[in-house]
Amino acid sequence: MSLLGDHESAEDGILHGNDCQRVDQYGFEQPDDLNHEIYEEMMSEYLTLLSRRSVKWSRLLKENTKVEKNLKVKRYVRKGVPNEYRALIWMAASGAQQHLQMNHGYYDSLLRGRHDHHLEQTIRTDLHRTFPDNIHFRDSSQLCLQTALFNVLLAYGHHNKDIGYCQGMNFIAGYLLIITKDEEKSFWLMDALLGRILPDYYTTAMLGLKTDQEVLGELVKVKVPGVWQAMTQHNVMWTLVVSRWFLCLYIDILPMETVLRIWDCLFYEGSKILFRVALTLIRHHQNLIQQAQNLPDICERFKLITRGEFVEDCHAFIQNIFTEPGSLSMATITKLRETCRDRIQAQESGC
Amino acid sequence: MAKQYDVLFRLLLLGDSGVGKTCLLCRFTDNEFHPSHISTIGVDFKMKTLEIDGIKVRIQIWDTAGQERYQTITKQYYRRAQGIFLVYDITSERSFQHIMKWASDVDEYAPDKVQKILVGNKSDEEQKRQVATAQGNKLAKAYGMDFFETSAFTNHNITESFTRLAELVLQANKKDLDVLRVSINDKLNLAALEEEEGVCDSSSDAQKTCWC
Repeated sequence: MSLLGDHESAEDGILHGNDCQRVDQYGFEQPDDLNHEIYEEMMSEYLTLLSRRSVKWSRLLKENTKVEKNLKVKRYVRKGVPNEYRALIWMAASGAQQHLQMNHGYYDSLLRGRHDHHLEQTIRTDLHRTFPDNIHFRDSSQLCLQTALFNVLLAYGHHNKDIGYCQGMNFIAGYLLIITKDEEKSFWLMDALLGRILPDYYTTAMLGLKTDQEVLGELVKVKVPGVWQAMTQHNVMWTLVVSRWFLCLYIDILPMETVLRIWDCLFYEGSKILFRVALTLIRHHQNLIQQAQNLPDICERFKLITRGEFVEDCHAFIQNIFTEPGSLSMATITKLRETCRDRIQAQESGC
Repeated sequence: MAKQYDVLFRLLLLGDSGVGKTCLLCRFTDNEFHPSHISTIGVDFKMKTLEIDGIKVRIQIWDTAGQERYQTITKQYYRRAQGIFLVYDITSERSFQHIMKWASDVDEYAPDKVQKILVGNKSDEEQKRQVATAQGNKLAKAYGMDFFETSAFTNHNITESFTRLAELVLQANKKDLDVLRVSINDKLNLAALEEEEGVCDSSSDAQKTCWC
């Protein structure tokens, strides 16, 4: 299997895909520097934990035909949804299932309708650039998910014309396809995320994103003042270090297993979780960030804090996000969002 | 502490999504080419030190997401740049036509003294070419810019184009550069050329040679 196509005679420095590389359960090649011993040990521990959770989930789902929102389910979600129930729980908790049932055939009709050529082109530019390190997203793969990815993004672009397609959505749709293995479910989960759970991150003005970056800044100012001072001293805009965190919902920032656990909570509890994750990363590593000497150094450290055992141990990490940042009420977030949004709009209209 | 460079400045890569901005950068800074890599979200940067006319130049190169809506975030970086690459893909007529839009945004948001060069990337894909070299030349001439056709894949004109833009930035800041030349013989002054903006903001000596 060659990744290089007709480029095989090119010069040195070209990185070849390694056919023998190990692949994880989702189809991602494991990085060369992965310590397999530590990884296997952690995964075997985690799988034991998941199988225990699985028994509990299966009992819960047998007792209730419908997934209700209550404290017990919330606790279960925070403790992790086993992969076999993930699509089901995400669909139920986010309301996507209900939308799918109420709009039977809608997804197909979007794909059958007339397509915006420009939208198609824009999406196509990113197809080859979505998870090239995942065997399911390669042209050569038998069950290539690229077509499914294209369909979900195209349908969504026509469904929500205010957003159309925004780079970053490709990664989100990609993850949804890997987990649900179903285009229509992925489409309705996109609709839940982008239409109801997240603020307006992906619209042309990206106002929701700009707002949340500032909101995080305000939260850091109160909760981790030393880091806020370092950011101010070195003149680092929050967008530089966290825009990808929010836009990609931590995909390609944190390890996949950790991202999935974050998404469990995101679908159930809403966008507040994104701040909990950011604050946990920042607060836990505040000394490291504060020791930065300059802007590139700060950026480098913001990359460092998303790696290592602290984030790889996804179960412990998720427990941490509910303790490390301290209390974080939705009322606070809502109020900060209003203030920051007003401030940004005033600044932009003043330019 | 011995300084690893004499002067620091920022270059910015602009151009449509998929023209190969990240590939140009990876080839220049790490001499690597990834046949497939993920699309850039937001803004990222890499650093490299060059020696030009005996001066060690540390450049920070900012790579941006090409999709139009990301400009709402990326344009904040324009004013911090001393040099800008306007990049199109020779196999995409559309990306070439958009250069006009990118150039006018640069006029609006970047400093007046900013240096620009035009880059037509993917020159190895001759069979798919949609933009003739002459068209690139003509546009560059109209804007008074230097022009390079490059290939991150074959490593064609990569060092040349980055070095050229760095030279242009040095020339455009000639006055500051002369201050630097004097200070190179002056150990005390050289030591004062501290890194990065944190120090630049508070030290007028450093500001002369750090155009942040």
